[in-house]
Formats: sequence, structure tokens, C-alpha cells
Amino acid sequence: MNKNNFYKLSYKEKKVLFLFLLPLLSFIFLFVFIPILGTFINSFHRDLTFLPKKFIFLDNFKRLLTDNSFWQSIRFTLLFTFISVPLQLVIGFIFAILLNKAIPFRGLIRSIVLIPWAVPAAISARAWELIYNYNYGLAQYIIKSLGITQNQVNFLGSAWSAFWALILADSWKTAPFIAIIILAGLSSIPQEIYRQAKIDGAGFIYIFFKITVPIIKPIIIAALLFRTIDSLRIFDLIYVLTHGGPGGSTASASIYGYQFFLSGEFGYGSCVSVFLFIITFIISICYIKTARFGEKI
Amino acid sequence: MKFFVFYLIIFCAFTLTSCRKQDKHEISVAIGGAPSELDFWNDIIKNFEKKNGCKIKFLRQSSDTDQNRQQLIIALRAKKRNPDLFLMDTAWIVQFAASQWLEPLDQYFSHDKIDKSVFFKKIITLSDTYKNELIALPVYVDAGMLYYRKDLLNKYGFNNPPNTWQELVDQSIKIQKKERRQNPNFYGFVWQGAQYEGLVCCFLEFAGSNNGGFINKNFMLKLNNPANRQSLQFMYDLIHTYKISPPNTYTEMREDSTRLFFENANALFQRNWPYAWALLQKDSSPVKGKIGIAPLPHFPSGKSAAALGGWHIGMSKFSDNKPLAWKFIKYVISYDTQKKFTMELGWNPGRQDLYNDPDVLRKNPHFSKLKQIFRNALARPNVPYYTQISNCIQKYLNAAIAGKIPIAQSLKRADNDLSKIIKNYEQK
Repeated sequence: MNKNNFYKLSYKEKKVLFLFLLPLLSFIFLFVFIPILGTFINSFHRDLTFLPKKFIFLDNFKRLLTDNSFWQSIRFTLLFTFISVPLQLVIGFIFAILLNKAIPFRGLIRSIVLIPWAVPAAISARAWELIYNYNYGLAQYIIKSLGITQNQVNFLGSAWSAFWALILADSWKTAPFIAIIILAGLSSIPQEIYRQAKIDGAGFIYIFFKITVPIIKPIIIAALLFRTIDSLRIFDLIYVLTHGGPGGSTASASIYGYQFFLSGEFGYGSCVSVFLFIITFIISICYIKTARFGEKI
Repeated sequence: MKFFVFYLIIFCAFTLTSCRKQDKHEISVAIGGAPSELDFWNDIIKNFEKKNGCKIKFLRQSSDTDQNRQQLIIALRAKKRNPDLFLMDTAWIVQFAASQWLEPLDQYFSHDKIDKSVFFKKIITLSDTYKNELIALPVYVDAGMLYYRKDLLNKYGFNNPPNTWQELVDQSIKIQKKERRQNPNFYGFVWQGAQYEGLVCCFLEFAGSNNGGFINKNFMLKLNNPANRQSLQFMYDLIHTYKISPPNTYTEMREDSTRLFFENANALFQRNWPYAWALLQKDSSPVKGKIGIAPLPHFPSGKSAAALGGWHIGMSKFSDNKPLAWKFIKYVISYDTQKKFTMELGWNPGRQDLYNDPDVLRKNPHFSKLKQIFRNALARPNVPYYTQISNCIQKYLNAAIAGKIPIAQSLKRADNDLSKIIKNYEQK
């Protein structure tokens, strides 16, 4: 419904609309808003199991500022997000363009491409764990047959290689998601525009950047928004593959915060979550402002 | 408005039905572990129910130790009446006790006139006592030990497993070199070096066998001292200098990956917990009948040390049927039940007297050596914020054996962080 139509409705009509929304709104209120509020409140408390609960206002945040491990996890999370998401966008875009062409078995290929996205993250992470395995992993075999090295490589053993191993596993899983969303956008572009552009003598690159990208820009940004939020809170893949190691170098902010919930240190753990929430919130707002959703193109 | 009221009623109905009161003649027991172990517990519980005509609700917990603990913490923090009883890992007992969640058991002991000396004294004092109160009892106990390949030591003319770390290195280098002709994947010694609790236990054993450890002479939690530096350097050398431990030690080696590596006949020695024995002696195991166990080696100046682990049963302070809960504890720690655990699951009982039982010794001849290992047991720091300490230590130890930071610097930085942690949690 358009914004303007809403204001034309009578009070009674609005009330009916509100009643229809009520179940959903109360669900969101109960299971999203209250937990977030609870986390915020908790983050101002010293909430351990073995000491009495105490209001300490910003002490948790002060501790956070001087906590090197925390900043390392934030650095890792941001680096991971800003390398993996653009990479996934490029791969996803290429797939989308290919799948949009009239290729044989298009329907079948489209569904096959989506499989990695359909597999639960923890399970695909287990599969990647086997691929990277030091003793009998597939990756060892590939690297040896490509002639890169003849030694066993410990993929998850150094901070640098573990980082790229995670990016690869994450991209494998989520590039199809971007591909499908962009594919939906591509198929909504009327073919006449392309025909007309070709008649006017526009090249492929020109058509891509001046016609395709601007038309589906909101869709690209929506895909990026989903991926960025997902990436900032990455947990499952890392939990299974490296558990934050070696030496804490691949601990994302969620993994770092989770440790505190396991040991029953709810106050400080909440504080980490709140910080991550703020970062995600700011980045989301930036995206939404750039996308200008709801405006006419 | 009517609609809203209707909605509210439905909502309240759902909320309230989930708060039913528990039956008086019922207790609940939360136990985690492998499916086969849980099935065995189920039998034990059924037996107890039949004998006493009561009902026990068996809450199957996750086999993942961390998740298991988290579930318990959430229930206990909410002061829920169930679970009445639960199994705890050695490493959590102090936290649970300091949080005032555990019912002291001394009064029950004196009331029933049960002799405490049937348990290992060291284990009871190190793990189960908090502020002079007995708050848990060992169901089964664990300590790190050395597994070795008898057949390979004999083949290359060594009569005994190593007494000192130097002997272990010498034997490993020699045998590894020759064995690699047939098996290029062969390593001398595997142990747990991944960034997790097991690494802390391994370090405690290396350091403890060198008169080092977590607590210094002034009862301070400090790591940076010559004995610890030497021990950590030795751990690093095992991987990088002597090259008798595989390079994935510090990324993948947890107890089960170590056990599999050893089971597939790829290693001469392994450091592991006692649970591995039963699995290594299965019919399908390639090393069946070829292995032995011994206390871990030590440095020239020290003596063998073993990190203490295991699972202990405790009673919730919020239980509403403590007499029945105590009855069940008594049943679990009784000679007969503990013997069943030992005979059928291969567990190491918490009771000392079972290590002399002829049936047990016939089935598990290695038990005669275990008793000695349990007497060398070392405990991890006994503080309620042990998890935070362990996370910090794990990180620096792992970075040091991976070669990411120099040994001395890693211990120094660990100390730095430890003093911050202590300062943070020691306030009232």
C-alpha cells in the first residue's frame, strides 16, 4: 500500500488494520523487542553467577574498550564482512547473468545453484572441515595436483590461511543467495530496453553499468544488506570450522560474546552483543539511506 | 476491544499452562554424554525406580560439555526445582558451588554414617570440596596418561615406556625415522594442542612434571616463571624442533582426533584421558592388544603429573525432594552401581576400592596402574571464574606452540591478562 493511501483511511478502517497486525506485532514485541531491551539492561549490570547482581552502568563498556581480544574480534568481523560480501556479490552477479541467458536445462541449473544456500550452515561447515582436513582433505589433493606445493598444508593452522578458508566456505554457501535475488531483479527488466539500447549502438559494458545496475540497484542493496548483517553476526561456520582459533585470530564478535554466555557471564556478554548491535544498526542505516527504498526510480 | 481481551486470555492461558507443579514423588536428573552412555544411565534409573517405587525424570543433556553446562546454568540461575540432580565436569564445580547452587552433602554423609575414605582423598579434596563443605561426589574420574605402542617399543629394542620427556623424544625420533619408511604419516607423540580446555590440561601436566604450574610459591596465579617457560618451550619443540608431533597439533588435536590418530597406528605415544582405552581395545581397532599405559613422563627435576578431570554428581539447592535425591546419589556411588559402570562402559570409578576388585581387574588389567596415576593428580585453578582464566591461557598457549608469539612473551602477556581478570572478578 502506498503511504498516501494510508492517511485517507477512516479511523475505523485503521483500527481494523491494526487488529490484523496485532498478533504479528505482539509476537515481534515479545520475541524481538523484549529480548533486545533485556540485553541492553543486562549490559549495564555485573551479572555473573557467583557474585551478586549489581548495577555498574558503563563499567562493562569501559572494560570492553580496553579488551584487546574484543577489538581483535571486531577487526576480524569487519575485515571478514568487507572482503567476503563484495566477493560474493561479484560471484553472485556473474552467476545471475549466466542463469538469465537462455541456456539449456536452465530450470535445473537454477535449482542446483541454490543447493549450497539450502544446506544448513553447520552441516556445510562440517563438509568444509573434511575438505580442509590436514590428513585426508580434498583440498590437500587439489593443491598437490595443481603443483602448488607437495607438502601437506595446514589450511586452518595459520591466521592468514584460516581467514581465507573461511571466506571461501562462506562464499560458496552464500553467493547463490545473491545470485537468485539478482536473477529475480534481472528477469524483471523489460527486454525492450535492451533491444533499444543495442539499436542505439550501446556495448555490453555500457548496457551493464548504465541500464542493468541502475534499474536493479534497490535489489542489489537489499541483497547486500541481508548479506552484510548475516556476515557481521557470523557464528555457525566459524564455530564448526575453527572455533575461533588459531590463537583467537578467527574469533568473530559473536563467537567472542558467546563464550561469556557459556560461562554464565551474562552482563559482559550482553555488552558485546549490544556493541555488535550498534555497529550492525549503523551499517544498516547507511545501506537503507543509499538505497532510498520505496522511492520511484 | 473484545478482540484484544480475547487475545490476551489466549496468551495468558498458554503462559500459565507451562508452569505446572512437579509431582512430589518425582525427581529429575540431568545427564549428558554419548547416546550409548545415556542408554546405560536410563537402565540404572529404571532399576532404581523399580527398587524404590518412585519416579525419576531423565533429562538427556547435550554431549557437548559447554552446552551441557549452559543448560544447567540457565535452569539453576532461574532457581528452577528441576533438575534436582546433575552431573558436572570437574572444571565447573567451583563456579556452581560459589554461585550457591549446590547442596552441601556432609550432613547426609554423617546421618547415614558413610565412610568418605572409599573415594580418592586427593580427588575429594581437590575437586569436590568448596570452603570446607563437600558439595559433589565423583561418579567417574579422569586423569591424563601416556598410551604407548608395546609392539613398536619391543621391535626397536626398548623395554620400558619412557620415564622422562628426554627418553620419550629419543625413542620417538628413532622409531619415527624407521617407521616412516612404511608409513610416511607416522609421528612419535600426539597430544591435545588445539585451542580448548584440553590444551590447558596438557600444559598443566608438562609444567607440573617440571615443578611448575599455575600457582606460584606465593599462592598467586602466575605463569611466567622459568619452569613453565621451559615446559612450554618443550611443547613447542615437540612440533617444530624435534618434529615428533604433527604440525596440526595446535589446530585440530583434541582428545578424539588424537585418539583416532593413535588408533589408526599413526603414532607411537599419545597423551589422552582413560576413556580412550576401551575404544582402542575394540575388535575393530588396528592397535588392539598392542598398547600399554603408563604415567606421563617428567622432566629430570620433577615427577610425573596428571591433570584431573571427570564427572561429579551434585544436588541442586532448589530441589524440592532432597531425601529422594540423596537416595539416588547413594545408589549411583554404591559399589554395585559403580562396578556396573566399570564393567560395561569401561569408566574409571570414583571409588578406590573398585580398583582392587578381582572381576574389575580381570576385565581391565590396566586399572592397577590407574590407581597410581590418580594419586599424581593435579587440579586446575580452583576459582569460580576458572572459565575466563582458561580462555585466556588457552589463547596464549596455543599462539605460543603455533609459533605466533615467542614463549616468554606469551606467558608474560598471559600473566598480564590474568591479573586483569583476577582484579575484575575478585571485587565484591
